[in-house]
Amino acid sequence: MHLPRVLRTASFRLAATYTCLFAGSVAVLGAFVLWTTRSALEQQMTSRIEAEAALLEAEFRSGGVDRLVAAVHERSRGAHALDYRVQDLGGRQVAGDLPAAETGWSEVSTTGRSPGETDDSERVRVLARRLPDGTLLAVGEDTGRIEEATEAIFFALWWALGLTLALGIAGGLVLSSGFLRRVDGIARTAEAIVDGDFEKRIPERGTQDDLDRLARTLNRMLDRIGELMIGMRQVSNAAAHELRTPLARLRQQLETALAESQPASGVESALQRAIAETDGILDTFTALLRIAQIEAGTRRAGFRLIDLGNVADAIIEAFAAPVEDQGKTLVGSIAAGARIRGDRDLLTQLLANLVENASRHTPPGTHIEVGLIATPTGASLWVADDGPGVPAEEHERIFDRFHRLDRAREGVGLGLSLVKAIADLHGAQLRVEDNRPGLRVCVEFGGAHS
Amino acid sequence: MKILIIEDDAATAAYVANGLKQVGHRVDHAPDVRDGLVLAVGQTYDVMIVDRMLAGLDGLGIVKTIRSTGVKTPVLFLTALGGIEERVAGLEAGGDDYLVKPFAFSELLARIDALARRPPMATVETVLRVADLQMDVVKRTVTRAGRRIELQPREFRLLEYLMRNAGRVVTRTMLLENVWEFHFDPKTNIVETHISRLRAKVDRGQGAELIQTVRGSGYMLRAPA
Repeated sequence: MHLPRVLRTASFRLAATYTCLFAGSVAVLGAFVLWTTRSALEQQMTSRIEAEAALLEAEFRSGGVDRLVAAVHERSRGAHALDYRVQDLGGRQVAGDLPAAETGWSEVSTTGRSPGETDDSERVRVLARRLPDGTLLAVGEDTGRIEEATEAIFFALWWALGLTLALGIAGGLVLSSGFLRRVDGIARTAEAIVDGDFEKRIPERGTQDDLDRLARTLNRMLDRIGELMIGMRQVSNAAAHELRTPLARLRQQLETALAESQPASGVESALQRAIAETDGILDTFTALLRIAQIEAGTRRAGFRLIDLGNVADAIIEAFAAPVEDQGKTLVGSIAAGARIRGDRDLLTQLLANLVENASRHTPPGTHIEVGLIATPTGASLWVADDGPGVPAEEHERIFDRFHRLDRAREGVGLGLSLVKAIADLHGAQLRVEDNRPGLRVCVEFGGAHS
Repeated sequence: MKILIIEDDAATAAYVANGLKQVGHRVDHAPDVRDGLVLAVGQTYDVMIVDRMLAGLDGLGIVKTIRSTGVKTPVLFLTALGGIEERVAGLEAGGDDYLVKPFAFSELLARIDALARRPPMATVETVLRVADLQMDVVKRTVTRAGRRIELQPREFRLLEYLMRNAGRVVTRTMLLENVWEFHFDPKTNIVETHISRLRAKVDRGQGAELIQTVRGSGYMLRAPA
C-alpha cells in the first residue's frame, strides 16, 4: 500500500497516536460522566418516590383510606405527578393506574397512561408499602426521563469523540505538512549540496523549536565541512602551485640549457630526456589535480544539454586515423538523439581516454568500436574491443588510481581514474564487461537519477 | 614586437623575457600589480603576458581593469593552475589565450605570434592563398596549382587554420584546441597523423612542400623561399 507522504511522516504518526490516546481518554471520561449522572438521577428518583410515599402515608394516618384516595386523585392531577396505586386487602385497585406490584422496591412495565404517548411500554420504578390496615400503597416513577438523559449524554459523547478524532486528524495533517515542508527544505538543501552547491544552507526560522535547532546544528556542521573543504582545496592548490612552480623552473632551466648547449656535444640528448622526464612528472601531477577538481563537483554548475552523438563522432573522426596507423580499426555505432546534461569538454576527454585505453592495450588487428544508444532515462555509451581483455577479478580495479595490469607498460595509470571521476560527476554508472573476446567499458548516463 | 610581462615570479619572468629578447622582441617586465597597471595603461604594447596568480590581485582582476580603460591589446594568461575552469574564467575576463605553466618556450612564442597578428574580426578573408595553394572558405574548395584537392571536413579545418597562420609556427596544442576543440592532452598522435595525411593530399607530387615541420615546436605552412 502506498500512503500519501503526509500520512507517512513521523509527525503525522505522532499526531495520530496522540489523537487515539486522547479519544480513549474522552471515552473513559464520558463513561464516568454517564455513570455518575445516571446514579445521581436514580438517587433523586428514589428520594422523590420515598418522599411521595411518606407524604401519602401521612395522609392515610390522618384520614384513613378515603383521605388517601382523595390525596392520590388530587396529586395525580398535579404538575409533578408520579404514578400511584392504592389497592385494598382483596387486591382490588381503589385509586391510581399503576399495575400491581410486590411490596418493597420493584420495577414494572406499564402500557401508556395517556393516549398520544407513542411509547407504549414504559419501565416504572415502584415502591410499594403495606399500610397498617392492609391497604397497599404503591408510588412509582417512569424511568424514561433517566433513559432520555442517558441517551442525550451518550449522543453528546459520540459527537465529542467524533469531533476529537476529526480535529485530531486535521490538526495532525496541518502539523505534518508544515513539518514535511521543513523536512523537504532540509532534503532540498542536502541535494543541492550533493550536486556541488556548497554555499547552500538549511533555512532557519528563528524560532527555538527542535527542528530549528537541528537546522542550526546541521548548518554549523556544513560550515565546518565547508571550511575544511576550502582548507583542503587551498592546501592542494598551494601544493600544486608550490610543486609545479619549481618543476616549471626546472623545465625552463633545462630548456635554456638545451638552447645554449653545443650541438652534437652529447649533452643535448641528455637534456631532452630530462625535459621529457620533467614533462612526465608534470603530466601526472596535472592529471591528479584534474581528477581532484572534477571530484569537487563544482563543474556541475556549467552543465548544458549536449548531444553525445556529436562528441562520439568528433572522437571517432580524430582517433580513427592514428588508430589505423597502429594497424587497428576504430568504428562507430552511433545512434542519433542521445542527449544528456553534461560538460562537453569533460565528456570528450572521457571518451578519448576510453578509446586510448582500448588502443594502447591491444595488439595490431584489433577492432575497436564506439557505441551510443539513447535510453529512456539518458544514454548508454560504450567502447569495446576484441583484444586480450581484462581478467574478471580486475574489472573493478581498472579505475583505481595508478592501477596498471602490466607494470612494465608505460603510462601512469590515471586515464581511467579520470574517466571514473567524469562519469561520477555526471551521475553515470561505469560497467566493465567481458566482450568475448576483449573488453567492453560501458557508461550509463541517467540510470542513477531516474 | 613590444611585449609587457606582468609576472611576480622572477625566474619565470627572466626566462620569458630573455627568450623573447633573443628572438628580437622588446620586453617590459612588471613584477607587481601596480607597475603592471601603470605600464599597461600608459604605454602601447602588441601583446601582454599576465600571470593568473599574482600576489595582491588576481590576474583576472588586472585584465578586467585594463580592459575597462579601453585597452584592446591581446592578453595571454600564464597560470600554474592546471585548472579546467581557469581557461574559461580567463577568456571571460578579457584574456585572448591561455597557457599553463610550465610550457615550452616555443609554445609561448607561437601563441604570442598568433595573438599579435590576429586579424580584426571584421576582415576575415574568405579566400586564402599561399603560393599556388588556394582555399575558398565559403565554397569549401581547395586547389593546388589549379588541381582540385578533396579534403574531409576536419582536414579542411586543419588546412584553414594553417593557412590563416601562414608563415607562423603553430604548435600541436594550438591545433588540438582550435581544430579539434580538445582542451586536454591526448596521448595519441592525433595531430601528427592528420598532418601527415593532409601532407599526402596537399604536397605529394608537388615540387615544393608547403607544410613544414618545425622541429621541437610544431608546424608551419609557408610558401617556399
